[in-house]
Amino acid sequence: MIVLASTSSGIFIQTMVNGITLGAVYALVALGYTIVYGIVELINFAHGDVFMWSTAITLVVLNSMHVSTAVYGFTLIGLLLLMIVIGAVVSGTLNVVIERLAYRPLRKAPRLAPLIAAIGVSFILENIAELWLGASGISYPDFFPNGGIVLGDVTIQYIDVVVVVLTVGLMYGLNMLVRSTKMGKAMRATAQDPEAAALMGVDINQTISFAFLVGGVLAGVAGVFYSLVIPVYAYNVGFELGLIAFTAAVLGGIGNITGAMAGGFLIGVIKALATNYLPNGSDLSDAVVFAILVLVLALRPSGLLGQQVPDKV
Amino acid sequence: MSASPSHFQQKMQNPLKSLGLGKKIGDFLNNTKFLNRSLSWYLTGWRAGIFWGLVALFLPQLLSLSSNFLDPTYFAPNVLLLDAILCGIYVMLALGLNIVVGYAGLLDLGYVAFFVIGSYTVAFATSGIIRNIHSQVVTIPAISFWAAIPLAALIAGFMGVLLGAPTLRLRGDYLAIVTLGFGEIVPIVIKDVPFFYGALGFQVPPAPVINTPFGQVDFGNPLDFSAFYYLTLAVIILIVMFNILLRNSSIGRAWIAIREDELAASASGVNLVRIKLMAFGLGAAIGGIGGVFNGVMTSSISYDQFSFQVSISVLIMIVLGGIGSIPGVILGAILLRFIDVYVISTISTMLQTNIALANPANPFHFLVSFNLNTTKFLIFGLILLLMIILRPQGIVPNKRRQLELQGVGLAPEELSVVGEIEREESGASAPPDSVEGLGDI
Repeated sequence: MIVLASTSSGIFIQTMVNGITLGAVYALVALGYTIVYGIVELINFAHGDVFMWSTAITLVVLNSMHVSTAVYGFTLIGLLLLMIVIGAVVSGTLNVVIERLAYRPLRKAPRLAPLIAAIGVSFILENIAELWLGASGISYPDFFPNGGIVLGDVTIQYIDVVVVVLTVGLMYGLNMLVRSTKMGKAMRATAQDPEAAALMGVDINQTISFAFLVGGVLAGVAGVFYSLVIPVYAYNVGFELGLIAFTAAVLGGIGNITGAMAGGFLIGVIKALATNYLPNGSDLSDAVVFAILVLVLALRPSGLLGQQVPDKV
Repeated sequence: MSASPSHFQQKMQNPLKSLGLGKKIGDFLNNTKFLNRSLSWYLTGWRAGIFWGLVALFLPQLLSLSSNFLDPTYFAPNVLLLDAILCGIYVMLALGLNIVVGYAGLLDLGYVAFFVIGSYTVAFATSGIIRNIHSQVVTIPAISFWAAIPLAALIAGFMGVLLGAPTLRLRGDYLAIVTLGFGEIVPIVIKDVPFFYGALGFQVPPAPVINTPFGQVDFGNPLDFSAFYYLTLAVIILIVMFNILLRNSSIGRAWIAIREDELAASASGVNLVRIKLMAFGLGAAIGGIGGVFNGVMTSSISYDQFSFQVSISVLIMIVLGGIGSIPGVILGAILLRFIDVYVISTISTMLQTNIALANPANPFHFLVSFNLNTTKFLIFGLILLLMIILRPQGIVPNKRRQLELQGVGLAPEELSVVGEIEREESGASAPPDSVEGLGDI
């Protein structure tokens, strides 16, 4: 995330490019919020920490493999795929386990109870990570080579291209999954009416677990991407990023997959611009994102792409 | 008092009895009424009210007696009293958040924001020093500490209404995330906006000295906190009385109605937004009052004291003690502060000074360098999660809330049970003259 450009228009475009890359990460995390909310109507506060655990585990794996510098060619592709798989498995499993242990027992409880449980889980995940790897930031082995496409003043890093292309691909896959597979149909049915879906033979528990799995997998992939773009691990990264991604999901219209994607990119760009152009931007850009959240909720709670009764999942 | 149907169900499903492991053990483990009844008996009702009221009233004297058997280098009576005051501040916060979470059923995850607002209000208002937009120091006429308390309540309440107005129209979970964000943003704004002295922190003038017919009373004396202790106690009693009056008013009934069934409440003529805003604003105002006491007590405030952890700690106090139950949240606040200040630090000292653990060959050697502050929040998180899953009604349950959380649909006969319990308790409880012992009227 280095702004290399020298002219003011160059800086602006470069900021936009960086924002789009981070926006892809926000979009992936936002998809997890949206899918889960679409089906069980629960804000999974622990989702940001599920994302963080992907960064933590891949960090430890990379360190144990003694990767510290950039790698090239097939090694790069192999290592990138391996990290994506590890991140996806870790976060996917974690999300499913959380659902099973913390949310499922409370499915019939009043709304407040699962929300409070989610906060508790988030707190626990964060503090375990802090106990394990410490409270100070750890630099992430940046194995992706620097360099990129230079367009005049603006540099589009190769990692930016990879992240955005893979994110869009994942979103397309997710859309296909929800639209045209049997599991997708079950998810849509459960989102509409769990009881009716159960009467039609849909295994509700399995479907909800699957939704959590998909959300977790996307957060795991996002964790790897994020670490390659901003190569610092911090135990509390999930808290802030979760809030941003949730804003993205609300901005796009919660329960709406395309909306979460659009919201993610939009928030990414807005946050990057705020970081660059506001005094103390890196702190105040969070306040800007928060202001967007409140404004969207006040003015258009269904989000940009959501309908008045949002099309769940 | 007739037994509730859920109680019968628990008896019917007693697995130990069917295994033949003896009636007594089985009853002990399965009969939650054992825990409810006896613990509630110790904590609610008029006997408990008088007992705990006397304990609270004579706490400074009791603590000074403690120097006879506790080592005063570690447990100086005045330091213990300071702990009690800080605990009292958390009791205020828990009582305030209880209005929002317990009565109205709204989840506020950024309660620390109102705590911050209260602390900074007392700092600015009583010192009379602020900064203008160019970071220059400007003096304004200072007001007294006594005027700062209602001012802080007013400002915090206003901020609560301001925050709640756009979000309370929506579903409850949006409120949770907006308040979560608000609790994060307020410390950032304080850090980065020059008006608030940013990262430098702020000295708060001590509480004043007043002259009474019986002599001078110094509320800010750091060598003897008892005057400030009684002030804190008096404010807590006022807040408790305020809570009880609110709960028994038409507003309180409206809160319970929207908590149980928003749609039905709305159909019965409850103005949802207005009544939710009221809960949110009043809860925020009490948080502001807690902030005033915190500001004066800690004397130096800065943005990093007000983390997300404070909001969650207060939430854990409520869940631990019993959502919606006044004696419950007071107990929860005291219990969690006790675990925080005494239990965990004692364990920490024990681990660090243990000779066997100091040996690097010891397989548990790593415990010496355990970050107990982090472990503390891990433990708190576990308490929160386990309580909400296993005993969502808390240690001292509010009866109506307990039935709700157990997922019991309130059938007519159960409703009559609730009414009976509430009537009985209101008949038996003490007049509101004490802090800890107020019955769940």
